[in-house]
Amino acid sequence: MLELFARNRVATLFVITLLTFGAIGLAAPGFLSASTLATVMANSLVLMLVSFGTMLVIITRNIDVSSGSVLGLSAAVLGLSLNAGIALPLAIGICIGVGALAGAFNGLLVAGFGVPSIVATLGTLGLYRGLMLSLTGGRWIEALPQSIKALAANLGWGGSVLTLIVLGVFLILWLFLRMTRQGGYFFATGDNREAARHLGIPVRSIVFSAFVGAGACAALAGVVFAAQIGFIPNQAGNGIELKAIAANVLGGVSLLGGVGSAVGVFISVIFLTAIDSALVFLRIPAFWNDFIAGAILLTVLVLDGRVRMAVDRRIRAKRYASHHGAERTKSPSRPSATAAPAIPTPHTAPEAGR
Amino acid sequence: MKRFVLRWEAALVGLLVLEFIVFGAINPRFLNPSNLLYGTSDFVHIGIIALPLTLVIISGGIDVSFASLVGLCAIVFGVANFFGVPLPLAIAMALAAGVLAGAFNAAIIHFSRIQPLVVTLGSLYLFGGAATVLSGAVGAGGYEGIGNFPAAFTSFGYLEIFGVPAILILFLMLAALFAVLLHLTRFGRAVYLVGQSPDASRYSGLPVGRVQAATYLLTGLCAAIAGLVLSSYFGSARVDLGTATLLPAITAVVLGGASIYGGQGSLVGTILAVFVIGFLQQGLQMAGVPSQVSSALSGGLLVVVVALRHGSAMLPNLIAAGQKAMTARPRRFVEEKTND
Repeated sequence: MLELFARNRVATLFVITLLTFGAIGLAAPGFLSASTLATVMANSLVLMLVSFGTMLVIITRNIDVSSGSVLGLSAAVLGLSLNAGIALPLAIGICIGVGALAGAFNGLLVAGFGVPSIVATLGTLGLYRGLMLSLTGGRWIEALPQSIKALAANLGWGGSVLTLIVLGVFLILWLFLRMTRQGGYFFATGDNREAARHLGIPVRSIVFSAFVGAGACAALAGVVFAAQIGFIPNQAGNGIELKAIAANVLGGVSLLGGVGSAVGVFISVIFLTAIDSALVFLRIPAFWNDFIAGAILLTVLVLDGRVRMAVDRRIRAKRYASHHGAERTKSPSRPSATAAPAIPTPHTAPEAGR
Repeated sequence: MKRFVLRWEAALVGLLVLEFIVFGAINPRFLNPSNLLYGTSDFVHIGIIALPLTLVIISGGIDVSFASLVGLCAIVFGVANFFGVPLPLAIAMALAAGVLAGAFNAAIIHFSRIQPLVVTLGSLYLFGGAATVLSGAVGAGGYEGIGNFPAAFTSFGYLEIFGVPAILILFLMLAALFAVLLHLTRFGRAVYLVGQSPDASRYSGLPVGRVQAATYLLTGLCAAIAGLVLSSYFGSARVDLGTATLLPAITAVVLGGASIYGGQGSLVGTILAVFVIGFLQQGLQMAGVPSQVSSALSGGLLVVVVALRHGSAMLPNLIAAGQKAMTARPRRFVEEKTND
C-alpha cells in the first residue's frame, strides 16, 4: 500500500484532487458544475504555463525564481508593442522572443559561468523587474487593443483559445519529455550530471535550453495574463515563481532533479487553483487563502516525506531479512558482500530510493 | 581557501568605497555623515535577518519563510498590544512567536527530510496566512496595519544614542554577537562542518540535527526582532512588513561570500554586503535614479559580482583545459561541491 502511494505519486495526487472536489461539492452544492470547472481551468492557465517552464529547469536539478519577472517583462513588451500599433501575431512573437532571451541569459549564467541557479535567477528576478519598470516608466499599461482580449473569450464550451494553447503546450511537453531522446537527456542531466556527461549528453546545452524553455513559457504566461486581465500592472507576475515551485513540488517533481512529469504538474496546478475557487464557494474569507494553501502544501509534503522514509525503511528491512536468510543457507565463512548482489531486491520507483 | 575569503571581503570593502566615491561625486550631500548614519535605518532590518540567514546557508540549508514571519511577529505584537498586554510582555510574545515558528520549520525539516527550500516555501505561505488571519481577527482586516502603540515603543525607531540611531546600534550589537557565535565558538565550527558534509559530521559525532535546528530558531528570533524594529519605525504592524526583505536578505548573504551549497561564508562578508546593497539603493535614490531602475541595478550587481567570482574561479580550469588540447573538457567549472 505504502509502495503504491510512493510509486504512483501522480495517481495519488489525482485521487486526492477528485476527493477534494467531491468533498467541496458535498459542502457547497453547486460547486460541481461545468462552469466551475471552466473557471478553475481559466484561472489556472497562467500558473500552469509558469509551472511547466519551472518544471523543465527543476528536472535538470536547477531552479528558476526569476519567472515572475520574466512574465512581467515580456507582458510589458507585449503591451507596449501592441499599443505602438504592431500586429498581434508579431507582438506575441516579440514577447515570446524576449522571454526566451531572458531565459537564455539565465541559462548563460548557470550553464556558462557556473553560477548556482538560485543565485543567478535571484539576481535576474530583480534585474528583469527593474527592466520592465524602466520600460514602462513605472506606469501601468492600459487600454490594450480588443484583439488580445478576444483571445480570452469563451469559445462556447467553457474554454478559450488560450485554453487550447495551454493544452497544446502541455501535450507537446508531455510528449517531448516522455517520448523523445532529448527529453530523456533532461532527466539524465538532473539525476546525475557527471554520469550524464560521461554518457556523452551535452549537459550544458541541456541546462541552457531548460532555462530558455522556462523563459518562453513565462512569456507565454505573460500573453495569457495580458489577455485575461486586459491591462498590465507593475507587479504582474509578482510572487508567481514561488507558487510555481510549490506546484511542482506538489506535483511530484523532485527538487533534487531527475524526477517529474507534466501530468503531475498539470493536476497539482488544477488542485491548487480549485482550492482558491472552493474558498469562495465555501464563503471562507479571502484572507484564509494563503494559510490554507500553505497548510495543504506542508501537510502533503510531510505525508509524502514520511511515506518515502517508511518505504525506504521497509526496503532496507526486506534486504536485511533476505540477506540474513541467504547467509544462513550458505557456508558461514562466506563474506556477506558476495551474497548481497545475488539477492533480488524489490525494485521501486527512482524517487522511492532517495 | 582562507586567502580567497579574505580577498572577497576586501573586494566588498572596495565596492563600498567605490560607491562612496561615485555617489559622492554625483551628489556631495550623500557623504554628509548624518545622512549616511540615518540612511541606515532604511535597511538595517535586512541586515538583522541576514545575520542568522548566513548561519542557515553556511550549514547547508535555506530559509525563505522569514519574509512572512517578520509580518507575523509584528502582527502578534500588534494584537497583544491591542488587547492591552503590557509592552515588555507583548515584545516577549512576538519574540516567542518567532522562535516557535523557527522551531516549526526546524521540526518539519528534521522529521520529514524534505529540502529546506520546499519546507520554508510552504511555511512562507502558512505564516503569511496566519498573520493575515490574525490581523483580520482584531478587525484590522486585509493589509491594513495595527497601530496605536505606546509612545515608548514608537520612539525607539527614532531614538539616538550619542548621535547614532538606536536601530543601527542594535544591528551592530547583534552582528558582533553572531560574529563571535560563528567564528569563535564550537557551535560556529559545527555550523561550517555540517554545511561541508552532513554525513561526515554525523559520523564524527556532531549533533547535526540540533545544529541545523538552532540556525532556524535564530532566524525566527531575528525575524521577530526585525518585525518589532519595523513596527516601531513605521508606527504600525502590517502583514506585508517583511515581504520586501526576502530577496535583499538572501542577496546580502550570497554577495557576502556564503556558498549556497553550504560550508563556506563569513559573517563579516554578510555585514559588508548589507551596507553595499543598502548604500547602493540610497545613493541611486539621491542621484535621482528612479527606484525601479535602482532595483534593476542591484539585481544586476548581484549577477555581475557572482558571475565574476565564479568566472574567475573557473578561469584556471578553462586554461588548463585549453592546454590539454581540447581532449577533455573541464570536469567542474564551479569550485563548490554539489552535495545532496
